[in-house]
Amino acid sequence: MRNPWGWAALTGFSLLFFVFIYAPLFVIVGYSFNSNPVNMMIWERFTLDWYTGLFGLTERVMDPNSRAAYIESTDQMIAALKTSLTVAAFTTTIATVLGTATAIALARYRFRLRGFYNGFLMLPMMMPDIVLGIGLLIFFVTLGMQLSMLTIVIGHCTFLTSYVFIIVQARIAGIDPALEEASADLGASEWVTLRKVLLPQLAPGILGGALLAFVISMDDLVITYFISGTGDTTLPVFIFGMIRRGVKPEINAIATLIILASVVIAAAGLWLRSRKTD
Amino acid sequence: MAIRRQSAILGLLLAPATLFLGVFFLLPLLIIALFSFLTPGLYGGVEWSFYHWNYGRIFGWADGIMEVFEPVYLRILWRSLSFAALTVLVTLLLCYPVAFWVSRLPERSRLFFLFLITLPFFSSLIVRLYAWLLILKPTGFLNSALMGLGLIAQPLEILYTPTAVVLGMVYVMVPFMFLPLYAAVDNLDRAQVEASMDLGANRVQTFLKVVLPQTLPGIMGGAVIVFIPSVGNFIVPDILGGAKGLMIGNLVEQQFLSARNWPFGSALSMVIMSVVLTVLLVAVTRARKTGAGHA
Repeated sequence: MRNPWGWAALTGFSLLFFVFIYAPLFVIVGYSFNSNPVNMMIWERFTLDWYTGLFGLTERVMDPNSRAAYIESTDQMIAALKTSLTVAAFTTTIATVLGTATAIALARYRFRLRGFYNGFLMLPMMMPDIVLGIGLLIFFVTLGMQLSMLTIVIGHCTFLTSYVFIIVQARIAGIDPALEEASADLGASEWVTLRKVLLPQLAPGILGGALLAFVISMDDLVITYFISGTGDTTLPVFIFGMIRRGVKPEINAIATLIILASVVIAAAGLWLRSRKTD
Repeated sequence: MAIRRQSAILGLLLAPATLFLGVFFLLPLLIIALFSFLTPGLYGGVEWSFYHWNYGRIFGWADGIMEVFEPVYLRILWRSLSFAALTVLVTLLLCYPVAFWVSRLPERSRLFFLFLITLPFFSSLIVRLYAWLLILKPTGFLNSALMGLGLIAQPLEILYTPTAVVLGMVYVMVPFMFLPLYAAVDNLDRAQVEASMDLGANRVQTFLKVVLPQTLPGIMGGAVIVFIPSVGNFIVPDILGGAKGLMIGNLVEQQFLSARNWPFGSALSMVIMSVVLTVLLVAVTRARKTGAGHA
């Protein structure tokens, strides 16, 4: 950029862009410490009440009668978090296996349906959530399957297989097949070459895919919303329900904790990646 | 690339995913297609008989009555398409300059800002939308701030308007536009840009003749990735939009969870699906034609 004024303007615009992305998150964090429960947008004083209240530790000042109901909703929230973690763990395992296997098949084998598979494996990712969600809902109900954690895991695996597939495929593209050819020439069987030569080189890609799958599974709202039964709710669906019933200061506290968790996960992911590529 | 013979291992690698996606992805889509032609039952449920008025209703005719043309649903479809297109346009205008700026930064700060832009991928969608609910509320952050500064006397009514919906969609879609754009801008051949300027082309000419064509694959890629989830979105309009911000996704949700008219909801989903598949098909054919497959 030869023009210093142009560069200054571009810098200003870009910094504003990042303010636009991050300011809303800071608004939540700020107000999660605001003691004003009536209009949470008017700052009263610093408080941790919404956090302690979240875990059923304090009585609500405004409405003493709501205490019992509140502890119940705390239990629901913890249950939702547990469901989310369980679903994400199972989904990540299954989707990582399916996505990695297909990525290897497509990168290392020539077969007639290769082009078809390439498109077929991308499609679940491109399909709008709502279409996939209602498709699965009708499918499960028509089959008479009870909506439960199992149906949520199945739903998540359909599109997360795509994500893992794409991440692992990108990684394979950067791996020189010469090592595998050498392994085959030296008499290793196809299976041994795959396991002992290709898989170790792929590990960072597989880990990256798994991490992404876990994060997206934890965050999925739309598909889970349609196929979670009355019993098992995940955290995003639980929060969605809470927001629909009205804005409460406790939501700020939950949201802040979630933001904190995601920053930690993202930083960990970045650290892992930088360590692996060195 | 190692080319191996077809083998049992290939089958082993492909079979699980084929089976899984065949049953839990393709079959559900086929069932939507089937349901969209079934008769809605009186009390929820379906009757297993052929019925084409689900589509008739979408295109403006009430069940079985050809005389009354009332395109309520077409209007909502049109609104969904235009909101999605607007989201693409706004995210593009926001991200394009920033992608340039980031690509020109020294290594360390470039990595830092790239990290900042990918961070929202890890954070919760519902939390990020909730933030805008807090900001746009009549008693929310924006109005409190503006009124506190004395800039406005009455609270602005932004929440539950189309503006709020597009704003929310832009906010959640920005990273999806940024990354493909950045990849394209980063690959830009700067020597060509300099040559163009040295040979007397002005900034506008250089942009139109050199920069834009080279970054077009990135623009197209970003546009597709943003447009598709926007068209069928129902969370953003549910939280930030009122009756005027209702999109086709909300209609689908209503048919399944409150109106209990599954065949009509399926027909609406088929419309969303065909829009998406058309966009994908056009994008793929275009990418093949220009030979730029890296978008």
